Amino acid sequence: MTIDLQSVRKEFVARDGARTPAVEDVSLTLGEGEFVVIVGPSGCGKTTVLNMIAGLERPTAGAILADGRPVTGPGVDRGVMFQDYALFPWRTVAENVAFPLRFGPAGAGLSGAAIGDRVDATLTLVGLAAARDKYPHQLSGGMRQRVALARLLSYEPKVLLMDEPLAALDAQTRTILQDELLRIWGQDGPAASRRTVLFITHAIDEAVFLADRVVVMSSHPGRVREIVPVDLPRPRNDATRADPDFQRIAQHIWSLIKNEAYRAATS
Amino acid sequence: MAAFALIWWAASVLTDNPLLLPSPQAVSAAFAGLALDGELFTQSALSVVRLLAALLIAFAIAAPLGLAMGMSKRFEEFVDPVVELLRPISGIAWIPLGLFIFGVGQSLPIFIMAYTATFPVLIGTVSGVKSVDRKLVRAAETMGLSQSAIVARVVVPSILPALLVSLRLGVASAWTAVIAAELVGAPNGLGYAISWYREMLVTPKMIAFIAMVGVCGYFCDLALRLLAARLTPWAPGAEARR
Amino acid sequence: MNARLLRMATLPVALIALWEALGRALGGPRTPLPSKVAGEAALLIMSGDLPAALAQSLGRVFSGFAIAAAIAIPLGIAMGRLRAVERNLDPVIESFRPVAAIAMLPLAILWLGAGSGAAVMLVAYAAFFPILIHAVAGAKGVDANLARAAATMGVSGATLARSVIMPAAMPQIAVGLRIGLAVAWTAIVAAELAVGAKAGGGASGGVGQMMFAYYAYSIELNRIIVCMIAVGLVSLALDRLMRFALARAMPWIET
Repeated sequence: MTIDLQSVRKEFVARDGARTPAVEDVSLTLGEGEFVVIVGPSGCGKTTVLNMIAGLERPTAGAILADGRPVTGPGVDRGVMFQDYALFPWRTVAENVAFPLRFGPAGAGLSGAAIGDRVDATLTLVGLAAARDKYPHQLSGGMRQRVALARLLSYEPKVLLMDEPLAALDAQTRTILQDELLRIWGQDGPAASRRTVLFITHAIDEAVFLADRVVVMSSHPGRVREIVPVDLPRPRNDATRADPDFQRIAQHIWSLIKNEAYRAATS
Repeated sequence: MAAFALIWWAASVLTDNPLLLPSPQAVSAAFAGLALDGELFTQSALSVVRLLAALLIAFAIAAPLGLAMGMSKRFEEFVDPVVELLRPISGIAWIPLGLFIFGVGQSLPIFIMAYTATFPVLIGTVSGVKSVDRKLVRAAETMGLSQSAIVARVVVPSILPALLVSLRLGVASAWTAVIAAELVGAPNGLGYAISWYREMLVTPKMIAFIAMVGVCGYFCDLALRLLAARLTPWAPGAEARR
Repeated sequence: MNARLLRMATLPVALIALWEALGRALGGPRTPLPSKVAGEAALLIMSGDLPAALAQSLGRVFSGFAIAAAIAIPLGIAMGRLRAVERNLDPVIESFRPVAAIAMLPLAILWLGAGSGAAVMLVAYAAFFPILIHAVAGAKGVDANLARAAATMGVSGATLARSVIMPAAMPQIAVGLRIGLAVAWTAIVAAELAVGAKAGGGASGGVGQMMFAYYAYSIELNRIIVCMIAVGLVSLALDRLMRFALARAMPWIET
């Protein structure tokens, strides 16, 4: 699936009627099977962009098209992984993963057994088969993140929208999950088998490691500052992180957002 | 605990008036006697059954109302003023008017208890619905759930722990109210028995029934805690409660 | 904003109008009506009966509440800080706690007679438990580093309890005091009602007994409703007063 943002603008209206522009004139195309990462300082509207693609928020002006058709609301073709995972605390790991299949349209026509099989397969894919009957509160942050990923994959949306999914994790878990995310996305296989991904982060190294293209945003209001192509070869691995090109691209992105980041940190 | 019994016993010896303060032995004997001839249980059962009936009524009124108030700001604006006008008037203050409407019998204590328990359950439900994690609702939306499925599969399970806590609060205050209601306007039940034995000046039996109020109150709360552990095994502290 | 106020007023006004209309159309001479309630309220206030009854009830509530707080706060802090005290007292407390305060009333009447004494004792008993439990929780929840910091400054024992533990536990204790006062007001109405019912008229006074007398001796439903409204208003006013006092006395806590 391709996603097209055409001059998208989003204003928030405060209770007293004051209008604050959150996103201004964002145009962006996500190609079929492309892994696009948005980086930017906090307040740059990156989550708003993702929510608008998901259909959770409406743009004030401009158009968002999914495979050429306007986005009017949430849909199972565009799956979201939320920043703090949004796992249902009253459902076990397996029940969370089964949730969209059992209660949403994606599982229509699937028998209970078929759902069970799909859940098992997805849990195995993310390495959680042993934790299937635990509740979210019994899991570590990294495991919760895997559950959220499994729940997202289980109903096979065509586009994966991921809002800072690794932000709450420690550095080592993060590195491991970045590798796994690329494996699950299918970086070892043919490009045609990959799904379209929009991934949000504030960590530049994470962005460069994962992305085909990095969209650098600036804040107040959120605009696209520059779109940086990442032509590092796939599959990427630990060697990629040591590649001088990797460092060069990361330096370039840092130079783009440095000033704003300093301002944000000291205000 | 032993020290407490000792103080009680010493005080009863010093007072030397079994009408005012019977000894622990006398009260235990009265308790055992009432338990053996079943009176203790018939009176308790009456009060507890009334409590259950009242809870059912309170729950049937408050849970759907609270759900609607929590989900619709507009509906809340209509209903909330009436709730806030009635809430400060304790169930107990309804007893005289209730006596006139219902007379002495089953209905008065049930009415008073249902009234008392409705408010905690209602307020717990409303605040539970309002504090449902918006992210969970949004997540369900991205999975394509219908509005009714979101209420059934996301909102209701989300508020269940808060609802059960508020039910416990409701039981605690309803239990106090029922004793008052039975003391004044019921032909039987624990409150009635207490006041009956006071008038008969059979203090040991009276104290035995007072103790039974505590025993029943304790076990009702325990039952609700077990129910909560059973229904909401994911809630924090659920394992400790089992 | 105005539309909102209008919506909020709709249901109460409609219900009162419905009550008045139905009462006039279907009721007998004794049926209470909002208009009659208002008239009776004016009468009861002018004659001084209602203010006097309320003052008597409030006096009992304040004495009972003061007794409860004076015992429960130090005891709660001791239980929260000293394991030995908690181990010994907790079973006794926990066995009395589920005994509804009203159930103690006949015992209180037996010991103290049907006057103020029994009512004050009942109020104290009812308010005692919420204050105690919050004081225990507050004292237990005091940041261990605060006590350690005080220790490094050479503060210990009773001074520590008074100067560190109690202020730090105060937000919790304040919650307990608010709940305790609300419970106390409910208890006094119950106690006066029950005393009025069981001890015959005239013995106890207070707003609870006033209500019961209107039921039992003169069947004045309008006046009963006046009393009910008064009970509700006082309960609101007490909570406001408590919050105000707590906020004044302890500006560092949120109530």
